[in-house]
Amino acid sequence: MSQLDVGTLASQMLEAALPILKKGAQEAESFAKTEFTKIAHTIVAIGEQVATGQISQQQAGLLLDMQKSASRTVLLTLEGLALLAVEEAINAALDVIKGVVNTALKFPLIP
Amino acid sequence: MNALQAACATRREGAAFRAFAVCITAVLLYAGCHVKLIGDYDDTIDKGISDVQQRAELYFAKLQSSPDTPYDQSFYDDMRSRLATLKTRASASYKKDILVRQISELQSEFGKFQELDQGAKRPIAAALVTSAESAISVSVESILTLELALKRGVPAAPAATK
Repeated sequence: MSQLDVGTLASQMLEAALPILKKGAQEAESFAKTEFTKIAHTIVAIGEQVATGQISQQQAGLLLDMQKSASRTVLLTLEGLALLAVEEAINAALDVIKGVVNTALKFPLIP
Repeated sequence: MNALQAACATRREGAAFRAFAVCITAVLLYAGCHVKLIGDYDDTIDKGISDVQQRAELYFAKLQSSPDTPYDQSFYDDMRSRLATLKTRASASYKKDILVRQISELQSEFGKFQELDQGAKRPIAAALVTSAESAISVSVESILTLELALKRGVPAAPAATK
């Protein structure tokens, strides 16, 4: 039975997990940029609408509350996407452990 | 008990613990335990949220094309009922707390827009409708983005053949 090496096993797990985490971060960044840009545009527009008298300050307050809610919803999606990425990364690392252990023991202990 | 006997007892306990830890790890790995940190995709939620957006967009379009359109309480009653139903479903689902919170935010947005709509003189300011529509649209997109991501890249099942 070949020896299981901690350093090698850790590197292999990281090699499996890291690309997944990086890809997840890129996708989350792309989504966040799009949505926060829309919110920023709307907040600026609200300011201009109050300045030009199209809407009242009270109406602007309610509209800003809606934008805050929308921002929180975006952040919640980012939280969810992060959980998904971490889940996928952990499971990829667990699959590596399975492969390495079975190879070291020279029989499929873990099916 | 002398020092030698004590050392042997400690060594036996340590070996027993290590054997126990290896067995537990093997059992967990054997069970093929995969971690799940968030719930699964739900087609009912996907369709339900899309339906809410479609109805909202229809109302916004009416207000924009005919700014004298009077305040419609039945629209808000319908939205409240649909979102409450979706929130109940999300609450009953496994690890969907994020979705529950997102639907709460969407409910709050409709509540604020109802206040705006009810208090606004007619013809209603286009700016009001546009800004409100933008917030609701962002929230719906956010909810659907996460919900679709929960499919986890699973391909559709092939049709059964004989």
